[in-house]
Amino acid sequence: MRVSTKHIVTGTGALFSYVFLLIPLAIVVGASFDDSASAYFRFPPEHLSLRWYRELPAKYWHGLGLSSMIALAAAALSTLLGAVAALGIAKGSLGRSALLETFFRLPLQVPFVVTGIVFLQFYYLLFDAWRLPLMGTYPGFVLAHLFFCIPYAAGAVGSVITDDLRRIENAGRIAGATEWRVFLRLTLPALKPGVFSGLFYAFIVSFGDVPVSVFLSTGGAVPLPVEIFQTLQFDFDPAVLSISSIVVVLSAVFIVLVQRLVGLDLILPGARR
Amino acid sequence: MMPSARRAYDAGLVAAFVASALLFLVPQFFFIRQSLLPNLSPGIVGDTISLDNYRAIVTDPFYWGVFGRTIALSAVSVAAGLALAFPTAYLLARIGSRVVRWLIVLLLISSFVSVVVKVLGLTLLLGTDGPVVRALRALSFGLWDVRLLHNDASVAIGLVQYTLPLLVMILFGVIQNVPPSLEEAAVVHGASDFRAFRRVLLPLLWPGTLAAALIAFNMNMGAFTSAVLLGGGKVLTVPIMIQRKIILETDYPNAAALALLLTLAVVVMNLAALKMRPAAVAATRAG
Repeated sequence: MRVSTKHIVTGTGALFSYVFLLIPLAIVVGASFDDSASAYFRFPPEHLSLRWYRELPAKYWHGLGLSSMIALAAAALSTLLGAVAALGIAKGSLGRSALLETFFRLPLQVPFVVTGIVFLQFYYLLFDAWRLPLMGTYPGFVLAHLFFCIPYAAGAVGSVITDDLRRIENAGRIAGATEWRVFLRLTLPALKPGVFSGLFYAFIVSFGDVPVSVFLSTGGAVPLPVEIFQTLQFDFDPAVLSISSIVVVLSAVFIVLVQRLVGLDLILPGARR
Repeated sequence: MMPSARRAYDAGLVAAFVASALLFLVPQFFFIRQSLLPNLSPGIVGDTISLDNYRAIVTDPFYWGVFGRTIALSAVSVAAGLALAFPTAYLLARIGSRVVRWLIVLLLISSFVSVVVKVLGLTLLLGTDGPVVRALRALSFGLWDVRLLHNDASVAIGLVQYTLPLLVMILFGVIQNVPPSLEEAAVVHGASDFRAFRRVLLPLLWPGTLAAALIAFNMNMGAFTSAVLLGGGKVLTVPIMIQRKIILETDYPNAAALALLLTLAVVVMNLAALKMRPAAVAATRAG
């Protein structure tokens, strides 16, 4: 292939992006093996040890568990809701309504920090009125995360409902398939990439969230990113390095498994296996 | 389609709409009401409705500065993020080699890790005991008191870290949808690569790029992790002011008013950007 200015520009830009994205992660993983005195970060590490893995407080494991459970539920529920909404908009009697599409994208216009305090106040109100315990509880986190996950999920599913799909469904009907069969054999398989990328987008947005969850966290229930944020803000603890490294390794294992078993185009449509 | 099938889709839409409307609108209603009530003392809210909280913010030049800085930081970070994301997404979408597949794996791994962890890495790298500062100090024989954190630039870098994986993923999808044959046709007919990019690719990518840029901009407008951890209390943005009002002052009504003004700023800027769209597309065609 001829090497042109175009290749140089895109190559340099991509190289820079990757260095920029990966260096902080490499540093965190590297620094986690340093056996330094507590309350002090050092990179590059001077004495290699697994000290901060052995002395990892249980609260970080709880945080990781809570974050994963919240992100799973928020991703599943928002994708279900988003898929039903996108199908209804594309195939319902109202026709493709731009107004409805805008409605399901509304949360994108609400800054995360605002979402956080909106739900904080709402949960206090519900508690005062009906003693509903949503502050710092699992359902409370899931509900607030659902709010900002819906646009991503609806958008991802909506993008795979194309005119081609409509033609294929009509071909199925002409060939004598029942509506139920058209849905099961033609519509659902076509939705698959949109559903999986919706799940993925919603999961990562929820899993990494600080600005919403920080307002909804109470002593007993703190998602991992909020736990790390509060540790960094108030009292340094080198254990955040080891739990962060564990998250990096777990994500890597998950992504490589997805790539090997089903192919990446399932979560990033267009990515080749 | 059979009417019964259409009715099933309609029923689904109604259910999704009602659930979303409850989630979107009910909490916001009480929130707006809260912003109109007076703050009597920390945690105690009165019950007379007025616009006093808004008046206090709008007439205070300090807040104008904070809003200006928040918008500027968000916009600059989006521009920098797009400048990085565009070539990256293009490379990932257009070159189908084994290496690119692994680059996508790395991108997805990095998207899984919360921005807090990335910010932690940046503070280790750029902090006073970090390798970069030590090297610069050694190079200047200790004459230069290097400080790379706790300024606007470090906050902007943190915001780019926050949105870059998502920007690359969205732009990847957008570029995938444009067949490479269109660019090839332009080049075959004598257009330079740059001209093919500007006249063929850019007009087709513009709507998707704008949507991605607005998502990133809105994320930046509501984020405070990077401003808190990399700004070190020296870079004040609207989200930080809201967080302080809630956590330190327990002043919910004023925080609510500030939050609604922030939302208003976001909505206005999004509408303005969408209005710009036809003009910008026309500009890529001219010349």
